[in-house]
Amino acid sequence: MQTIIEELEGRFKATPLAISVPGKNQKAVYLKTGEKSVPEIMLLLEGKGVILADLFAAENFDGDKFSLFYIFEKRDDPVMMVLVVGIDEAKAASVAAHFPGACYYEREVADGFGIEFTRAFDKRRLFLHEVYPEGFHPLLKSFENKPLDIDYSKLVKEYPFRKCSGEGIYQIPVGPVHAGVIEPGHFRFHAIGETIFNLEIRHFYTHRGLEKLAEGKTPLECCAVAESVSGDESAANVTALTMAVEEICGIKVPLRAWCIRTILLELERVYSHLGDLAGMAIDVAFPLGAAAFFNMREETLRQNGALTGSRFSKGIIVPGGLNRDIAQSKLGGLQAYTNDFVARLEKAVADIKASGWVIDRFETTGTIDKALAAPLNLSGPVARASGVQVDTRIDHPYGIYEKLRVEEYPREGGDVLARFLVKADEIKNSIRLIQDVLDQTGGGPVFEKYEAIEGYAMSMVEAARGQNLHWLWLKNGRVERYKVRTASFCNWPVIEHAVVGNIVADFPVINKSLNLSYAGNDL
Amino acid sequence: MISEVFKNVFGKKKTSAVKPQDLSFQKLGLQLKEDIDGVFGRSLAVRELDSGSDNAAEIEVNNLAAPYYDAERFGITFVASPRHADVILITGAITLNMAAAVKKTFDAMPQPGLVVAVGDDACDGGILKGTYAVLGGADRMLHVDVKIPGNPPSPEEIMVGLVTLMAQIKMKTRTG
Repeated sequence: MQTIIEELEGRFKATPLAISVPGKNQKAVYLKTGEKSVPEIMLLLEGKGVILADLFAAENFDGDKFSLFYIFEKRDDPVMMVLVVGIDEAKAASVAAHFPGACYYEREVADGFGIEFTRAFDKRRLFLHEVYPEGFHPLLKSFENKPLDIDYSKLVKEYPFRKCSGEGIYQIPVGPVHAGVIEPGHFRFHAIGETIFNLEIRHFYTHRGLEKLAEGKTPLECCAVAESVSGDESAANVTALTMAVEEICGIKVPLRAWCIRTILLELERVYSHLGDLAGMAIDVAFPLGAAAFFNMREETLRQNGALTGSRFSKGIIVPGGLNRDIAQSKLGGLQAYTNDFVARLEKAVADIKASGWVIDRFETTGTIDKALAAPLNLSGPVARASGVQVDTRIDHPYGIYEKLRVEEYPREGGDVLARFLVKADEIKNSIRLIQDVLDQTGGGPVFEKYEAIEGYAMSMVEAARGQNLHWLWLKNGRVERYKVRTASFCNWPVIEHAVVGNIVADFPVINKSLNLSYAGNDL
Repeated sequence: MISEVFKNVFGKKKTSAVKPQDLSFQKLGLQLKEDIDGVFGRSLAVRELDSGSDNAAEIEVNNLAAPYYDAERFGITFVASPRHADVILITGAITLNMAAAVKKTFDAMPQPGLVVAVGDDACDGGILKGTYAVLGGADRMLHVDVKIPGNPPSPEEIMVGLVTLMAQIKMKTRTG
């Protein structure tokens, strides 16, 4: 990445931006460049094999009307590059031809700010559904956040889904309200007989305007917003937010606070993955096999409750550390609980592996090609089950992760079975990490005073579903812009590839094996 | 082979290992079962509807049906369609993007349909109150019979809410 940065500085006169505090663990280099050199830069970057990790906009940043932030990552390189492009008019060139993942981001920016992307492949709206009026762009500073007076019962337009036609092709529209107890989203299948020929997803039904809601809040008030991005990733997202705040004000969080944060982050991964294992067994009609995972998940949620008072660890992680300490006796209770955990899990996984009909449904179902990982920026267990070794805890360590033994369990299959086994292995690793951290957790304070006034910073965490990237810009002690990009946002489009050629009846188990968050995607 | 069959028929059953783990929940469940029997005759058909939650509330509703709580033994059934539902558990503030779907879902219920708001956001909009993307709590569109606050409420608290709902219906039928 360093050589790429030097090349951009030399050839395109890209100038380093004065970054408030250089990232200690997660290093981000900001480069500013003019709009004109963007196409050439993108061509160059495409050839260097970098990945577009995020793309978003901000208003009135560094003297420009709009700024587009392109964040690039190179595998096995700790340095992230943030390319800042200032534009005066609400118009920019699409980069989706070089980075296909940009398609989704550009639609998001177009909705939020009204920036038009020329030569874009897809100009349909994304998170603003038909109910919103034309010309409404909520993230513009000129729009003051308030309820809209809209008659939702009169739907005049229909969303233009991709068309598929031919002999024997029929459509199956599914959602937004599903048969199971899950979040809302729409799936438009085209099937031939039982086989899925094409799938198009349409989400953002749970779009709650969280990025706009965050604006004007203090970093502390913003914690509740981060926690509600996705309920089962609350610890991960609030940690990412606090990391960004802590970087802006340059404080060091006490070790004990990081130890407890790490325990909560890993517990979150454990209960999330346990739910996935149970769900996959349920979706192939094996409730007995799922029962063990369900019970262990309930126990894990209760451990969360005992430690923090919230079964989802909400309301304890704040900028500067934790807002209260956890008694050593409670941590001892967790330690005792983890003693036979791995053995019990292995027994439950062995029960699944011994059931031929389950393996039969899992194997070669919903295969995800490794080649999709880079263009779509796949991360988390979904990428690792397709043989891609990515884990933010290893690639961009934060907190105390550098000192911990985070293991990767890559599998090549890319199918439901591979995802099942990767998640099972990761639970075991998380439990070992928790045990290691508990052994090391000493006394001391859990909070460091901070004063966050001005500045911007990005932070990344490995949530249960993969890498979540946050970017925070503070002005006069209040949030000016808060961008959250969850792993779900990047991983959702891959389901359109994973299901093709499978039968419709296997869709639930494929969906469950990915277990992506709708709320975390829709914000 | 034959010995396997004998073992399966006469041996200790796997299910016998599952004991009620949570006595206070058990008590609550039996109370609810009695109430449901009194009001609905047999069972209460529940449909969950996410109108824009952060998914924590759904996880807790799901947990009610999972083996640890297994609320179905107390006469609650989670049904796949609003057309089969006596009550809707609505989670999350109603987003503009979901508003039309929420209305259609409620309209598809056999009337009178009962509505229970689960979680702070469904109760009154919670932290989302006043943003452009939400209408507000469930009562902005539907008549809400019971509100269960919490971020999210635990499975036990959801059960308490359902007991309250039954008590409310009983009171209404008595006075009405």
